[in-house]
Amino acid sequence: MKKSLLLIAIMFALSIALVGCATTGDLEKVQAQGQQTNAKAEQALKEAQDAKAAADTATVKAADAAERAENAAKLAEERARLAEERARLAEEKVKKAEEDAKRVDAAFEKSMKK
Amino acid sequence: MLRSVKPSVAAYSPQCFIILLIVSLMTLHGCARIKQVQVQYGPFPAYPEEKLERHDFFTPAGEDVVGGMAVIRLEKGDTLPDVARHFGLGTNTVTAANPNVDVWAPEAGQRILLPMRFILPDGPRNGIVINLPAMRLFHFKNRGKAVATYPLGIGTEERPTPMGDMHVTKKVTKPTWYVPASIAADHRKKGDILPPQVLPGPDNPLGEYALYLSKPSYLIHGTNKPASIGLRATNGCMRLYPENIKKLYEQAPVGTKVRIVNQPYLAGRADGIIYLEAHMPFDDLPGDPLEDVYEKLATLERKSSGSIDWSKVRKTLAEAIGYPVPVSKVGPGIDLRPADIVEVNHPHRLLGAPVVPELQIGAWYVWVADKKNEIDAVRLAAMVNHQGPPIPARVLARRAGYRVLAGPFRDKTEAADAIKRLRFDLEIEGRLIAPDRKK
Repeated sequence: MKKSLLLIAIMFALSIALVGCATTGDLEKVQAQGQQTNAKAEQALKEAQDAKAAADTATVKAADAAERAENAAKLAEERARLAEERARLAEEKVKKAEEDAKRVDAAFEKSMKK
Repeated sequence: MLRSVKPSVAAYSPQCFIILLIVSLMTLHGCARIKQVQVQYGPFPAYPEEKLERHDFFTPAGEDVVGGMAVIRLEKGDTLPDVARHFGLGTNTVTAANPNVDVWAPEAGQRILLPMRFILPDGPRNGIVINLPAMRLFHFKNRGKAVATYPLGIGTEERPTPMGDMHVTKKVTKPTWYVPASIAADHRKKGDILPPQVLPGPDNPLGEYALYLSKPSYLIHGTNKPASIGLRATNGCMRLYPENIKKLYEQAPVGTKVRIVNQPYLAGRADGIIYLEAHMPFDDLPGDPLEDVYEKLATLERKSSGSIDWSKVRKTLAEAIGYPVPVSKVGPGIDLRPADIVEVNHPHRLLGAPVVPELQIGAWYVWVADKKNEIDAVRLAAMVNHQGPPIPARVLARRAGYRVLAGPFRDKTEAADAIKRLRFDLEIEGRLIAPDRKK
């Protein structure tokens, strides 16, 4: 009886021990899995962050490019306007010079009378 | 053109190819000839300016064109009126032929055209013929076989030179100018009181010689304002350069016929080529000169072996550059190349060009104007220098801009007289600059 009880006790203790061992392994497994998941999550997060950063950079670059293009267009427009203005001023200057010359000539012609 | 010819060449015989080649070459040769006519300022043969005939020409029978064309390279300080006078031309002729050249401050080194070729006016070739739009006098001699031609100044639009037939009634040397009431009134309005008569001398606008015409109060005379030759600046009289009136006075006797005409468009023939000379027409003169010239051109075309390029006629009439332009069509035996244009050397000094005396300490001066721009100052100084009689003027560089200064004058009276003339003639308020007595 004692033997059977002892055996049962041993069996019980062993099973408990064995059960205890299995729980630790599982825990470690879970822990490992958790770590792995964490790492993956971190990796994913990092990747997501990187992707976002890249996307942000691309957006900024695109915005910059658009702004630059807009500025360039504006500058070109401005240059054209300035050139036009300069041409107009030059034309006015030539016209004024011609008028002055005509006036001067008229004054001289008048001075040639008796 | 060659590309369109090429594919068909293979289909035709070698003779055909040769014919096509010759036709192509002839066409290209024609293009080259036209181009040569258009290039006016190419290299020209050199000719001594003192030998260039300015006034006296023979008039070959059946020909209407006399003289030739020349070019000259300008030097620093030249003005177009001075160049014009040196070569016996009016200011109008030189400015019309060189429309983009500054009259008073042309660039040194610039080459200008001297149009010394003239189409004789229509009508009998005897006595004196004056063509108003050309502002030119033609004195026919030796029964029309020779002609002397001079530029002149004529009446303003308000007081135009009368047209018609008249003759020389009297010739006078050193004439006294009896101031007409109308001119005295004009001056009085400006506050300038003229004396009733001006004795011979530098202030006399008639100059040294005068030919009185049968139309009362009208004269052909010299001038104390040579820069006015080629301008409409008289009260109806006709002015010549001093050196030209002297010759006319010597050669035209009393009784010489004088015919004053309005022919802005002149057509004529020389060496088988038909020429057209167009001047700016005067709206205030009677007649239909355009119809007359078209008729004359049609007659010339009928009589000649070639034909007229009518598009060139229209262009010449519109441009009115004042010298004869060939209007014949380019064809066999017609060479429009300007072979007779010569390049004359610049003389040491241009005849009659004003001389400005050196600055003198102790002299009187007149401040004329301050200008920002040097060219403006040069122009103004030149105009003051070309008054009649001349008022010496120069340009002085300042820290900022340029000053036009008249003088030196011997005394205060002379300087004050210059101020008066600047005011009345050029509407410039000059200021007296007294000599620095401390020095």
